[in-house]
Amino acid sequence: MRRQIVNEKDIGRVFKIDILFAVPIFFLIMSIGYGIYSKDLMSMFTGLYDIVSSPTILITDFLKVGGVSSSLLNVALVGFLNVYIMNKYKLRINGVLIAGFFTVIGFSFFGKNIYNILPIYLGGYLYTRYQKIHFKDIIIVLMFATALAPLISEISFSGILGPVADIFLAILGGVFIGFVIVPLSSHMIKFHDGYNLYNIGFTAGIIGTVLTSILRTFGVVVEPVYVVSESNHLIIIIMAFIILGALMALGLYINKRAILDYRKILKYKGRLITDFTHLVGYGVTFVNMSILGLISITYVLLVGGVVNGPVLAGIFTVVGFGAFGKHVRNVFPITLGVITVALLFGFELSSTGVIISILFSTTLAPIAGTYGPVVGFFAGMLHMFLVQNVGIIHGGINLYNNGFAGGLVAGVLIPIIDAFEKE
Amino acid sequence: MHHEMKKVTVIVTEMMTMLMLNGAKEIDIKIKRTDIGTEFTFTHYDCHYDEDFIDRLEYNLNTQRQYEVEGYYWQLAGEDESGDELHLVGAMIDEAEIEKDEENLHIHLIRRTI
Repeated sequence: MRRQIVNEKDIGRVFKIDILFAVPIFFLIMSIGYGIYSKDLMSMFTGLYDIVSSPTILITDFLKVGGVSSSLLNVALVGFLNVYIMNKYKLRINGVLIAGFFTVIGFSFFGKNIYNILPIYLGGYLYTRYQKIHFKDIIIVLMFATALAPLISEISFSGILGPVADIFLAILGGVFIGFVIVPLSSHMIKFHDGYNLYNIGFTAGIIGTVLTSILRTFGVVVEPVYVVSESNHLIIIIMAFIILGALMALGLYINKRAILDYRKILKYKGRLITDFTHLVGYGVTFVNMSILGLISITYVLLVGGVVNGPVLAGIFTVVGFGAFGKHVRNVFPITLGVITVALLFGFELSSTGVIISILFSTTLAPIAGTYGPVVGFFAGMLHMFLVQNVGIIHGGINLYNNGFAGGLVAGVLIPIIDAFEKE
Repeated sequence: MHHEMKKVTVIVTEMMTMLMLNGAKEIDIKIKRTDIGTEFTFTHYDCHYDEDFIDRLEYNLNTQRQYEVEGYYWQLAGEDESGDELHLVGAMIDEAEIEKDEENLHIHLIRRTI
């Protein structure tokens, strides 16, 4: 008889999917509630139209474009779609799925909407029919692949060939991305050997660079924009704390010793694939996600930053990857490296650009986890240099710009570290 | 299945890496391919694993087959030099049995054809 490795309450698959389902329900209730409170329920729908019909390229904050209740409605709709797919195909609720779900939720404040993600899913579905494999096998890749959703919005509303032809062309482009993303992402992962957690960000950066170059050749101007909410919305901050508090409570409900067991998670390097739900259980994983989220949002508020769409995307992505590789110990040196560069070069720590660079730089957590805090610190510094400059290459159509930069940093840094290591 | 031969190869590489990092000097490997899938048998002779290590090894290899994880990440297996990817191997196989007799460790894995 083998010893039990993880001691916690067995909550079953249905309860796990209910936990994820609760997230879009919460956003929907708050969306309607806020619409009623602001006595302008109709603006919820007009705002959603504004969100769906905006180009959505980096950096387009839906809180600015459509307002609070419409953004929450968009998050809820995107969340429902993804939970529906997970449930229909009976996906196992593991670390990577939790990471993918929270990443999609976060980016529904900033880039992804209920229109521009659908063609990518359709392309993926066609790929599975062509290859005669199950659609469920590639759902995770597709969830992350919606990083390129802005390409669909950008072409749809570009005015190149007229509205109908543009939308047709955009959907075709999205289908193409969904079709090719699976083999590409699997191949690209070897470039950084799993040391960049946002692997699709790197893949999407490469595809985005190719597609943007083609579009630019046809005279389409694809340049990053800056449409960002400059003021805090109390309701959004309260909602974020409620979700993070709920994750903590859930973790403690599943495993009463989750706080005491927390140190167990800190020994993992975090390199792909490190599924904390399997290695330390759901209780400790939810506590880890909550702690990372609470530290993130507290940091943003302490430096005087704004919790807007891009920042929420950063926080939710960090929270999601708290189930799949990130913990306090391996993210800290990386973020310290980014902050150091920001201070050395006089960047404003409270600016949205710097805040999201800090939050998303944690994609390199496995480097600090594997090679130690000093190397992690330098990886963070290098990341900050790159992330400032790579967005222009793909014109902002890759939402995971930090994943692109992170892939480059890891791909360059790991062989260099190896060169200095002795047997 | 897509890249089946390569996937079998990376499973072997990953298991070999793990055993050799744990001081293996003598290993037997047997791979048997049938209609139902691929069976792997690894024997590490004259080994000194403690119960805790064997429990964790069995736990990580019995993570259950996860096709979605396999489809995306399989190329990472066998690439690392720390032998940390056993959880990934676990996602690529259906059954794992570990036995330790006097001084030898026997690992039996089954990867079923879909």
